[in-house]
Amino acid sequence: MLPNSLPAEAPSPRAPEAGTRGAGLSLLRSEIAVLFRRRRTWALLLALAAIPILIAVAVRVSSAVPPGRGPAFLDRITQNGLFVAFTAMLVSVPLFLPLTVGVVAGDTIAGEANLGTLRYLLVAPAGRVRLLLVKYAGALAFCLAAPLTVALAGAAIGAALFPVGPVTLLSGDVIQPPEAALRLLLIAAYLAVSLAGLSAIGLFLSTLTVVPVGAMAATVVLSVVSQVLDQLPQLEWLHPWLFSHYWLGFGDLLRQPVMWDSFVSNGLLQAGYVAVFGALAYGRFVTKDVLS
Amino acid sequence: MGSGPEAYPWGMDSPDGDGRITNGRSTRHRKIASALRRRTDRAWLRWVPAVAAPAVIAAGVLVGSIPARAGDVLPDKTPAEVITLMAGHTTHTFSGTVEQVSELGLPELPATGPTSGPASGDGAAAAVEFLTGEHTVRVFMDGKSKSRVQVVDRFAERDIIRRDNDVWFYSSKDNSAAHLTLPDRAGDLPLEQPALPDASHEGMPVPPTPQDLAARFLAAADSSTAVSVGPDVQVAGRPAYNLVLEPRTAGTLVGKVSIAVDGENGMPLSVEVMARGTEEPAFRAGFTSLTLAAPNDALFTFAPPPGSTVEELQPRNHTQWHTGPGLPAEPGTHPSPDQVEAGIKDKIRPYMAGTGWETIVRLTAETGAGSKLSAVLGETPLLAQAAVVVPGGRLLSTPLVNVLLMDDGRVFAGMVPADKLQAAASAP
Repeated sequence: MLPNSLPAEAPSPRAPEAGTRGAGLSLLRSEIAVLFRRRRTWALLLALAAIPILIAVAVRVSSAVPPGRGPAFLDRITQNGLFVAFTAMLVSVPLFLPLTVGVVAGDTIAGEANLGTLRYLLVAPAGRVRLLLVKYAGALAFCLAAPLTVALAGAAIGAALFPVGPVTLLSGDVIQPPEAALRLLLIAAYLAVSLAGLSAIGLFLSTLTVVPVGAMAATVVLSVVSQVLDQLPQLEWLHPWLFSHYWLGFGDLLRQPVMWDSFVSNGLLQAGYVAVFGALAYGRFVTKDVLS
Repeated sequence: MGSGPEAYPWGMDSPDGDGRITNGRSTRHRKIASALRRRTDRAWLRWVPAVAAPAVIAAGVLVGSIPARAGDVLPDKTPAEVITLMAGHTTHTFSGTVEQVSELGLPELPATGPTSGPASGDGAAAAVEFLTGEHTVRVFMDGKSKSRVQVVDRFAERDIIRRDNDVWFYSSKDNSAAHLTLPDRAGDLPLEQPALPDASHEGMPVPPTPQDLAARFLAAADSSTAVSVGPDVQVAGRPAYNLVLEPRTAGTLVGKVSIAVDGENGMPLSVEVMARGTEEPAFRAGFTSLTLAAPNDALFTFAPPPGSTVEELQPRNHTQWHTGPGLPAEPGTHPSPDQVEAGIKDKIRPYMAGTGWETIVRLTAETGAGSKLSAVLGETPLLAQAAVVVPGGRLLSTPLVNVLLMDDGRVFAGMVPADKLQAAASAP
């Protein structure tokens, strides 16, 4: 399917630079279109959307949650539906988001190799580096779509089942729904950044194998391992280096004034992971003998 | 077929069918072989980024982790001048983030433990909480009478907001708020720690700020203390004098205390306490960021959020134990100078033995501190494990602070060796 969607009028290898850049762009467009047309991608996003819906329905049909029990914000849901989105994002960070991102990132190269379409992609003048970049950009697009889905589904189901009003921040200050929506989007952006490192790891693992399931599983397992290591006090020196270390730091966006420290630290950490594993993926993919 | 070319299977693909076969083959062989060689020769180049990226990151981290030196940009000052500069500082308008790290080897308590709400908990638990792990506190101040202190926990926050005589306490964990109206005179008092007129509000523990700690350690600096000024340091991006207090007595666990004093305005920016014989600070509290501009005034306005439980507090006698202002409190005890009720202080003031660095706080059973601390130990098995059973009680021993809980309810604490505590406990 993918080779068919490659531009038919792809310029010849001797075409000027602008031509190849255009090829890269259309490759990116087709990659994202293919990614979001896939039934599997939709299934992943629907599964993510089910999390806030389950939470909201469970809270709706059960009695009031005593404060301080369960995940943070859970007890606020009955008073304000927007908290469904916050709770759902909190709940989905440790497993569900890494799981879906692992599936998409692990599939990037290995999936094409498995289908036997990788060599056709490489026939196009785009080149291996450009293909790698395009594949990673596709994974990033999913990293952004996944938390956005949780946030939007959470806000929608929360508004449907519960009253929506001013949101109480962690600092005790109250903000109006429009600003709360902005914070919600900020958290989605934070989570998208958080998952960028994991995507790079998945991309690298995906260049190692032609069995996509292997790369997916390895990516998800790594995300779990990283979180387990983050819990061990004996490894405190290691904690700031784990890519999952700041995943739950998005609570700092719910303070007044917003505390940006964790956003910045998280961004730097993820950039480091993207650089290291991007370089590894480049080294592997460019020197790899593509047989399928 | 010649003998040589057969070794190359690709030569079989396209027999040219004429006399130039051998010639053509050998040319192509050479080309392909050299291309292959070039490819393998250059293959390692592709891995250069994979090696370079971690190397660059490691180098960047190494450069960043070198202790920031201001390069002695500040004019030289004697220790006495630095102390005068610090004592005279009038910076009461700023926003900053204070980070407190305790490396005492104590197991970490849950960040928002069972005692985090204003309604529950007590000072002893709070003291233990701030003896462990890392804590981040945001401090906003505008003059002496407007302040906001935010103890940042994961997905939770404890706030103390003060505007003139109104003080609000808020804990997001259970969405509870408490309000306190200070007596009129409290607003005029020259508060050394203006942020916290009554931080000792029960269960609203606040870690000490660098200012508190600096004042306390300076008060402990007696004639037995060597005071010097080390090379300038950089704290929160500001050049600062490094005032070093070194107790000469062997009767304390404190090896060295270094206080970073802002070179410009004399504000204490960080306090590090090194245990005897170590170079790494066992306890550190310092600003990680500091802005001297006035914070947004709206920060000091607080109304209890909808759905919260609100409690009206009366200015009341403190039932918890306090350390007096002239005492080197172990880091983590309440910073409240407690001027508001100075008269009552003497009644509950724990008996102190020793002076200066060797001060031992002795709490009698009536204060209830012993039972409260025991309760804390009971709630945290990890901490209970760290406590060693000694004759007559249990000893919580760290490189910097020792706490002796006697079975009869008395508590002895101090930055002194454990045998000193036991001696004090057995003394009549």
